[in-house]
Amino acid sequence: MSRPLNPLVRREFFGILRSPKAFGTLLALTIVFSIAVLMRWPADGTVDLSGSQSLEVFRIFGYGLLAGIVFLVPAFPATSIVNEKTDGTLALLLNSPLTPISIYVGKLAGILLFAFLVLLASLPAAAACYAMGGIDLFGGLGLLYLVLTLLIFQYATLALLVSSYAQSADAAVRLTYTIVLALLLVTLVPQAFFPGNQGPIGQLATWLSSLSPIPVMMQLMGDGSLSSRGLMESPSSSAFLFLTIVSAMIFAAVTISRLNFRIFDRSKSQGVITDDLGLTARLVRRFVYIVDPQRRKAGIPWYLNPVMVKEFRCRKFGRSQWLFRLVAVCAVISIVLIFAAATSVTSWGVETIGGLLVVLQVILVVVMTPSLASGLISGERDGGGWELLRLTPLSAAKIVRGKLLSVLWTLLLVLMATVPGYLVMIYIRPQMSYQVQIVMICLAWTVIYTLAISSAMGSLFRSTAVATSATYVTVMLLFLTPLLIWLGRDAPFGHSVVENALTANPVGAALSIIETPGFEGYNLLPGAWIVAGVVSLVMFSIFGLQVWRLTRPV
Amino acid sequence: MAEAEAVVETKDLTKRYDEFTALDSLSITVRRGQILGFIGPNGAGKTTTIRILVGLSKPTSGSARIAGADCLTESRKIKQLVGYMPDDFGKYNNMRVSEYLDFFGAAYSIGRRDRTKRIDEVLEIAGAGYMKDLFVDALSRGMQQRVAIARTLMHDPQVLILDEPANGLDPQARIDMRSMLLRLAGMGKTLIVTSHILPELARVCDMVAMITKGKLRAFGTLDEIMRDIQQRRTFEIQLVDDDQVARVVSSVQGWLKQHDQDVDVRGAQAETMVRFTTSLNDREITPLLAHLVSAGEAVAQFREVPTDLEDAFLSVANEERPRASAAQAPATGGTEVATS
Repeated sequence: MSRPLNPLVRREFFGILRSPKAFGTLLALTIVFSIAVLMRWPADGTVDLSGSQSLEVFRIFGYGLLAGIVFLVPAFPATSIVNEKTDGTLALLLNSPLTPISIYVGKLAGILLFAFLVLLASLPAAAACYAMGGIDLFGGLGLLYLVLTLLIFQYATLALLVSSYAQSADAAVRLTYTIVLALLLVTLVPQAFFPGNQGPIGQLATWLSSLSPIPVMMQLMGDGSLSSRGLMESPSSSAFLFLTIVSAMIFAAVTISRLNFRIFDRSKSQGVITDDLGLTARLVRRFVYIVDPQRRKAGIPWYLNPVMVKEFRCRKFGRSQWLFRLVAVCAVISIVLIFAAATSVTSWGVETIGGLLVVLQVILVVVMTPSLASGLISGERDGGGWELLRLTPLSAAKIVRGKLLSVLWTLLLVLMATVPGYLVMIYIRPQMSYQVQIVMICLAWTVIYTLAISSAMGSLFRSTAVATSATYVTVMLLFLTPLLIWLGRDAPFGHSVVENALTANPVGAALSIIETPGFEGYNLLPGAWIVAGVVSLVMFSIFGLQVWRLTRPV
Repeated sequence: MAEAEAVVETKDLTKRYDEFTALDSLSITVRRGQILGFIGPNGAGKTTTIRILVGLSKPTSGSARIAGADCLTESRKIKQLVGYMPDDFGKYNNMRVSEYLDFFGAAYSIGRRDRTKRIDEVLEIAGAGYMKDLFVDALSRGMQQRVAIARTLMHDPQVLILDEPANGLDPQARIDMRSMLLRLAGMGKTLIVTSHILPELARVCDMVAMITKGKLRAFGTLDEIMRDIQQRRTFEIQLVDDDQVARVVSSVQGWLKQHDQDVDVRGAQAETMVRFTTSLNDREITPLLAHLVSAGEAVAQFREVPTDLEDAFLSVANEERPRASAAQAPATGGTEVATS
C-alpha cells in the first residue's frame, strides 16, 4: 500500500500556488528573465567565440536570480508557523497524529516546491545563456543552481525558525529580512577590514564572509570588477556550501524541537514599574538603560502629536533606549571606519571608507524603514486600532503627520549618528567638507525617499505581514536594481544607461560625490535629488490620500 | 412625570450596498438616561446602525441625530458626544493601560493634568484600577472589556454605544458589568448596548429594539414587546396519570377547533403533560380548564409558559419562518408521545 502524501505538503504547496501574489511572482520572474536574455541575444548573426557576450548575460541572469531569491523566498516561510500559531491551527496540528518532524517536513517541502518553481521559471533563460556558448554546464550553470538551491534551503529553514519564535506575522517578516540582509551583506564587512586571511581574526573574518553567497556568486560569475577588495580572496565555494548546509540543519533541528505545546507558553508581563522598585534597583536600571522603558510615563504634552508619541510607545524597537543604543553603535562604527582609514589599518583611502560608510548607512535605512513604516496603517487596521482612531477627533492630516514623524525622527537620529565619522573624515581631509555636506543631503533624501515609498506601499494593504513583505521587496528592488545595472557598467550596459539607473535613488549620487571607486564617472546631481523629490511627493500624496480615504465614513 | 429629552433619534435610516439592503427605514428614539438593548441575529444590521450613529458609515437615506447633532455632517460634535466600544478591543502592543488611556485622552484634546485625573476616574468606574500598570497586550478578554469601557468613558461622552460588552466575561464579571451599566445610566448617560446574552440585556434595558434583515421588528419597553410579540402563548397542562395524556390531547384539540384556533397540541407521556399554543386571551382560555375538569380529568396544573427576551427574540428572528410550535417553546423536556 502506498503511503499517503504528507497532508501539509499538499496544503502548503497548493496554498501558496493558489495565492495571486505567488502566481504574479512566477509570471513576473519568467518575463524578467526572458527580457534579460532577449536584451543581450545576438542580433547581427555573428557568433561571439570568446563567450564574453554570454558571460555578460550570465552575470545579469545570475545576480538577478540571487536577488529574486533573497527578496521572495523568505516571505512565505516567515509567516508559515506564526500564522498557524495566531490562527489556532498549530494547536490542532500538534494535537493530530502528525509528528513534529512530519509537520516541519510538510511545511518546508511545500515552500521548497514553490521555490523550485521559481528556479524552474528561470530555466528557459538559463538554457538560452548556455546556448549562446562560453558557459560551462556543470562548473557554471550547474554550480549556480546548486548554490541557489542551498540558499533557498538555508533561507527557508531560517525563516521557519524565526516564525516559530515570532508573536506576529509582520514581526516574523521583519526579523527574517533583517537576518537575511545581515547574512548577505554585513558578514562581508569584517573581511573588508581584514583581507588576506591572516591571523585568527583574518581567518574568522574569512569564514564569516563565507556565510554570504556574494563571494561565491562573484567567483562563479568570474566577476572581479566589484569594488570589494578581499571578497575574491574568500576561501572557496566549499566553505559556503558547508556553512549553508550546517546552518540550515541547525535551523531545522531547533525549529523541530520547538514544535510542541511549549511553543504556546508565553508568560504575560506583570507590568513591573521601576518607580515602585527600591532605590538600588532604580539606580541600576537608570545606569543600564539611561532612558528606562519601565518607568511610569508622564502624560503626552500638548505640543506633541499624540499619534507620534503613541507610535514610539507601542513599538518595541522604537523606544528611546533602543534608539540610543543604535545611535551609539552607529557612531562607534563610523568613527572606527574613519580611524581605520586614517591609521592605514586597511589599504583603502578615505573615499573608499566614505563609500563604505554611505553603504552601511543605506543598508541600515533600507532595513529599518520598511520595518517601521510599512505597518503604520496596516498595523492599525490589523489590530482593530484604526476604528478607534477614526472615532477620535484626530484629523487625517494629524494622523499622517504623527505617523510619518515617528519614523522620520528615528531615521534622522540614525543619520545623525554617523556625523562624528564624517567630522573625523573632514578633519583628516578638510577639502572633503563640501562633499560630505552633499553626501549628508543625499542620505537625508534617501531617508525621505525610503520613508515615502514604505509608508505608501504599506498603506495599500490590509494585512501587516503582506504590507511588510511587499514593502521590503519594493524598497530592495528600487535600491538593488540600479546597483545590479551598475555591476554591468562595462557591459552589457552603457554609461548613459547606468547613469540613468543610478539616478533612480540618491544612493548612487552619494557614492559618486564621495568618489567611491567605480562611481566617480557619473554625473548624478541634481537629477537624483529631483527624482527623489518627485517620487517622495507622489508617494506621500498616495499615503495621505489613503489615510484620508480610510478616515471617511463609507 | 415629564419624559426625558430624546438623545438618539433615527428617522427612516436606510443603508444599501448595491442591491443589498443592510438597513431598511429604521426609526428609533432613545431618551436621556435610558439603556437601549439592541438585538438581532448576525447580519441583522445592528453594526451598520451603530456605525452610522458614530459617524463611521454613511446612510443611503434617512437621518440620524445624537443630542441634536447630525451624525453625518457634524462628525466632530458626534465624536465628542459619543463613546463607542466596538467588539474588537483594538490593542496597541507594548503599551501600559495608563499610556493607552493617556493616548486616547490626548487624542480627545483633554489637558494633561485633567487626563491624569480622568484615567484614575474611568479605571475606577470600570473596576480596572489595578490594571493601570499592566501591558495592554497581556490583558485577558475580560480585563480588555473593562479597559475598553474605561477608554470609551475617557472624554465623558453623553452617549455610550457598547457592542457586546459582556462577551468573554465570567459570571461575576457579567454581574459587575450589569451594575456598571446601571451606574452609568444613573449618571445620566444614554446607553445603546448590543449583546447575544439576552437575559443580561433583559435585566438592565429600559428599551429594546429588535432588528432582523435590516428591518426594525419590535421597539419599546420589554413589556410592550412581549405584548406585541406574544400573539400566541404557550400553555402546559400537568396531568396526574400518563394514561390521561392521549385523552386530554384529543379533548384540547376538539375544544380549540370549536374556538376557530389553529391546532398545535402535543403530549409528553413521560412527563404526563400536554402542551399547546393559542392566541386566546386569559378570559377566553379559562373555559378550557373548566371543560377538562367537567370531563373528569384530574388536572394538577394549568399554566402559561413564561416568555422571556430570548423567546421574544426567537419569535422575531423566526418571523419569516413557520410560526414556532408548542414543542419549540421552552419547557421541561421529555419524550413526545402524541402529536397532532
